[in-house]
Amino acid sequence: MSEKKIRRSILARCIPRLTSLAKKGPSGWMIMIGIVIVLTFIVITMIGPWISPHNPSALFIGPPVASPSSQFPMGTNFLGQDMLSRVLCGGSVMLQVAGLSVLICFIIGVPIGLFSSYSGGFVDSACSLVMDALYAFPGLVIAIAIAAMLGPGVINMSLSIAVVYIPTYFRIVRSQVLSIKELAYTEAARAAGAKWHTILFRYIFPNVIPSIVVVTTINFADAILTAAGLTFIGLGVSIDVPDWGLDLTMGRKLIANGAWWVITFPGIMIILLALGFTFIGEGLSELLNPKLQH
Amino acid sequence: MGLRVYIITRTLLTIPTLLLLLTMVFLVMRVLPGDPVDLHFERKGTPEQIAQMRQILGLDKPIWNQYVDYLWGIVDIGYLLQHGYPNLGKSMQVTSQDVGRQIFSVFPATLELAIYSMIIASVIGILLGTVSSKSYNSLLDHVIRGFGTVTYAIPVFFLGILFQLIFGVYLHWLPVSLRINPNVEFPAHVTGLFTIDSILEGNIVKLFESLKTLLLPSLTLGIILSGIFIRLTRMNMLETLRLDFITAARARGLRESTVTYGYALRNAFLPILTMMGLQFAMLLGGAVLTETTFEWPGLGSYIVGRINYRDYTAIQGAVVMFGLFVTLVSLVVDILYAYFDPRIRL
Amino acid sequence: MWNKVELSIVVLVLIGIIVSSSTMYYTTTVMSNLSTLTSDVSTLTENVLNLTSSVRDLATITRVLAEAMGAFNETLADLEARLAAIEASLAAKAKETLIVGTTDAVENTLDPAQAYDYFGWCIMQQISGTLVSVTPGSISGTDFQPELATSWNASTDGKIWDFTLRQNVRFPDGTELNATHVKYSFDRSIALIPSTPDGAPANLYYDQIINRTEVLSKYKVRFFLNNAYGPMLGIISCRASAIVDPTYAPWMTQVNYTADHARSSTPLAFVGPYYLSKWERVGDRDIEIRLDENPYYWNATSGYPKTKTIIFRFYRDASTLRLAVEAGDIDMAFRHISALDVLSLQTNTNVKVWIGPGAPMFFMCFQEDHAPFNDSRVRMALAAAINRTAVVTTLFPGLANATYSMIPPGMLAHGDAFKELGDANLTLTTSLLAQLGYSSTNKLKFDLWYESSGHYQLSAEQAALYKAQFEASGVMEVTLKPADWPSYRTNRNNGIMDVFVYGWYPDYFDPDDYAFLYWASWLNLHYDVWSPTAYAQQIALYDQARYTTNTTLRIQLYNQIEDIAADQCSIVPLFVTKLWAVTKPKVSGLVLDITQDMRYWLIYIAG
Repeated sequence: MSEKKIRRSILARCIPRLTSLAKKGPSGWMIMIGIVIVLTFIVITMIGPWISPHNPSALFIGPPVASPSSQFPMGTNFLGQDMLSRVLCGGSVMLQVAGLSVLICFIIGVPIGLFSSYSGGFVDSACSLVMDALYAFPGLVIAIAIAAMLGPGVINMSLSIAVVYIPTYFRIVRSQVLSIKELAYTEAARAAGAKWHTILFRYIFPNVIPSIVVVTTINFADAILTAAGLTFIGLGVSIDVPDWGLDLTMGRKLIANGAWWVITFPGIMIILLALGFTFIGEGLSELLNPKLQH
Repeated sequence: MGLRVYIITRTLLTIPTLLLLLTMVFLVMRVLPGDPVDLHFERKGTPEQIAQMRQILGLDKPIWNQYVDYLWGIVDIGYLLQHGYPNLGKSMQVTSQDVGRQIFSVFPATLELAIYSMIIASVIGILLGTVSSKSYNSLLDHVIRGFGTVTYAIPVFFLGILFQLIFGVYLHWLPVSLRINPNVEFPAHVTGLFTIDSILEGNIVKLFESLKTLLLPSLTLGIILSGIFIRLTRMNMLETLRLDFITAARARGLRESTVTYGYALRNAFLPILTMMGLQFAMLLGGAVLTETTFEWPGLGSYIVGRINYRDYTAIQGAVVMFGLFVTLVSLVVDILYAYFDPRIRL
Repeated sequence: MWNKVELSIVVLVLIGIIVSSSTMYYTTTVMSNLSTLTSDVSTLTENVLNLTSSVRDLATITRVLAEAMGAFNETLADLEARLAAIEASLAAKAKETLIVGTTDAVENTLDPAQAYDYFGWCIMQQISGTLVSVTPGSISGTDFQPELATSWNASTDGKIWDFTLRQNVRFPDGTELNATHVKYSFDRSIALIPSTPDGAPANLYYDQIINRTEVLSKYKVRFFLNNAYGPMLGIISCRASAIVDPTYAPWMTQVNYTADHARSSTPLAFVGPYYLSKWERVGDRDIEIRLDENPYYWNATSGYPKTKTIIFRFYRDASTLRLAVEAGDIDMAFRHISALDVLSLQTNTNVKVWIGPGAPMFFMCFQEDHAPFNDSRVRMALAAAINRTAVVTTLFPGLANATYSMIPPGMLAHGDAFKELGDANLTLTTSLLAQLGYSSTNKLKFDLWYESSGHYQLSAEQAALYKAQFEASGVMEVTLKPADWPSYRTNRNNGIMDVFVYGWYPDYFDPDDYAFLYWASWLNLHYDVWSPTAYAQQIALYDQARYTTNTTLRIQLYNQIEDIAADQCSIVPLFVTKLWAVTKPKVSGLVLDITQDMRYWLIYIAG
């Protein structure tokens, strides 16, 4: 077969088309639900400022800590801010933090993984050792330490979360590359005289993509929860930016007084968003797991 | 290769990993902005005061010197044997206090929380995962899978406060904070884990009280972590149940429960064991939020408190402690795995 | 497109979400109704009582069945007796013990030469004594009553003070308190000032006020002052003047926390209603402090302390503290339950809320090194835009008093110099700023910093409000900047923050301890540099007021200082928060007065 055909068949095998997802059974529509949820959230975040009934940061639009009513369907918080508007606009910080940290992880972890495992030998052992050492760190603790030193803000939060996830990307990429390296058609390509970068990018990388996608989605979900955790400790963004994590923290102080709506709605949004990404990841990993295909 | 050789090789491999870990912590702490000396003074420090404080904290020495002191302190077994805790330097906030001593006094609390959370998480996870795998693709399977996925997505403090409200405030069943009821004295310190120390002391009341206070925080953390175990168990069981020896066992007429728990689960258990080891790292991290919510005086609260003082030595020591512990756990898990599965040793 | 199973799962998930959110709503409303039905707050004892009584019932039944086996009977009877004894002792113990939860902690030491934090002073007050103290319930904070001294007088020029000591006050080892102990305490604190520049005696200028202390006779001590000092009794009653025990107070060394040894952790003489029986601490956090009844207390015959044991437990988070007192983990929560919670707890029958006059003062500071804040018109413009009343009614309804003077309400010389600037007086704001060229097209841009780690009550919410108030003028653009407490403090030291809110806690109850804030050097606002004339005037008035005991004159002088301050607006007084505590219903005897002191020996559990 020609080179082009080999490539196309690899891609075709590994990246199922969306339309055929439904036919793949429960894993398939799990991915679909996940994608639907994530896309909905992204859209809501983008058009949020336009569809919110009120300005999410404006104070005392309504009576403070008012229960949900027709005027304020999700109630108001302690500063009289409309919870519905805050829910619609509050996702941007989370998505930014998660997205940025995933991007950083990807840019650093994947190339290192690819090169290290392909080169093998000393380079590989050295990189694995470093990554193993990094892997031993409990994520939230390092994130807290770094965020505390750097100060509040979206970029600092992303950096602190990213540092902890790089080893995961490295490991997944490395294990995939190692197995593909030995496959027959890679040998064949090498025998045919293809250069290393050709093999790496045209043959190996496309096969690695599905696993990377799985890790990315799980990373996203975790980043969102870690960002909420950082805000809870007090290392989040300033109070005039609408943020679900902030609402969660403030709402926690109010729920004991019976005001359940301040913490619940942003909480559900965070859970749903994390779930969306998890569904995609879960479904994809099940789909790709050959042992389960029957 | 034999088991012994594997153990030796694997243990030796931890040393460079540990060294790297310690070096990275050291570098990260030095590289980040924020000056602990400046923060030490209530009012602005004069240059002499700052210089003197720098000297006390050991920050005036060249960085190479500091690094060697730091490494030497950790591996100093003599110090460890003499004091009962390693030499992790002195706290930058209260320069007369040993960080090692502080960390060792708070670590058992986190360990206790982690152990009980792990117990709850694995029991729930393995049971539900097995049940789910038995009825593959049924409604029960989907509900359990759904539960497993959703629990992991819930922020710890959200679930925590719900439990605190329901079980503590409304039902008055359980205490919502601290480690043990203040009316009851702490059990005599042997391990630092209240449940074990109460048993060693033979005091039922203390055991009962510490379990009572332990219940809510470990339940919160345990439920959230169980999701992973549910999914993992389910996946592994599904694979194992397909294998031939299971069909053979069934053909021999063994009861279904024996087949599931006696044969299949035992074989599927190993990857779960590895996951338990890996999750320990996650647990120690997740404990930070749980400890803050439930006022549990462990290493997590300690770190959060130290960060407020930019106490580098203490933060460094605590992170090292976490890292060391996780490395140790994964070493043990790997060895256990090798013991049970000879294929790995190759 | 989707088959039945997929559809049903989607529907199930949606139903699940709806069900769980309505369950949550239902649960919270039903459960809150349920809790009002329960008659008693259940304590540890009640749970153990239930357990032991059920075990006892079980034991009885088993005993009947095992009647035939005599030895078995005996063992069970023995067990039952032991359980009953535990139950009884726990019940008795609970009545004699008060469990207090707090978010405070001892900052550093319990050495009067160094300690300068509220909680350190609180503990010191329970275990030691001063020559005079403020009468519980005092409104002005200047009603002094005898404590370790029975009488005192001052010379006409106010430079010599004589105190006659109470006789038969004994340390636990039997030593009787006499004048040498008093002299030693003061000499030691003053001698340690160079090495404890952050400590209370240094900050209260003991070395500048007191020239020397002399022992006149066994029970008579004399203070020679460098100048007449109005607030003399005030500083004598504060904890920096607590008496130490020379056995435990080495001359030139500060006494610090010693693990597992409470007595060695403080130099104080144990002449108070309690003694420190346990102090456990890790880093900057206390784990447990235990105070036990002092059998040698000189006032024990009056029935003090009313509760035998006080156990302090420490919380980092105000919400958890609130849950703890509501759930019954602790008997009393004092400092700091959030203002949000206090309001709803007032209608909660499971707890009792106590509110008293406050003294913590909050004020807004302007960094004069950052133009244009060196111009008093800009500062005045911002001061006029603030709406204190709105802040108080929104964030602290019934729990704070707006104040137009840096001297808190109730105190001598409290005035309202800043009232002329008004609240949300936006016309004044815009006109003042217009003089410098600021308008809606050329807005004044600055950073408003706030403390984000919970050191001040509702600081983030306050910041949001101030920002809205400033921007309501239409000529300002405010950027909010959070900083956690250590960064906030460092920023203050380095003069980084344009505008920020700060809090002040009194050391003693005299305008002398508040008025100086207008030019306090440690605020680093450099007001003295940018407005030297006004500063010189204020300082002259201040010294005059401090070195006289003529009350009318003092009031006049402080009013003059405040008039200048209202023109300069170096700092702007905002409000004074009240003091509150939350306890279980049976706890009684709390006195919340302007001193902010919690006298634990007055508290008892009724019924």
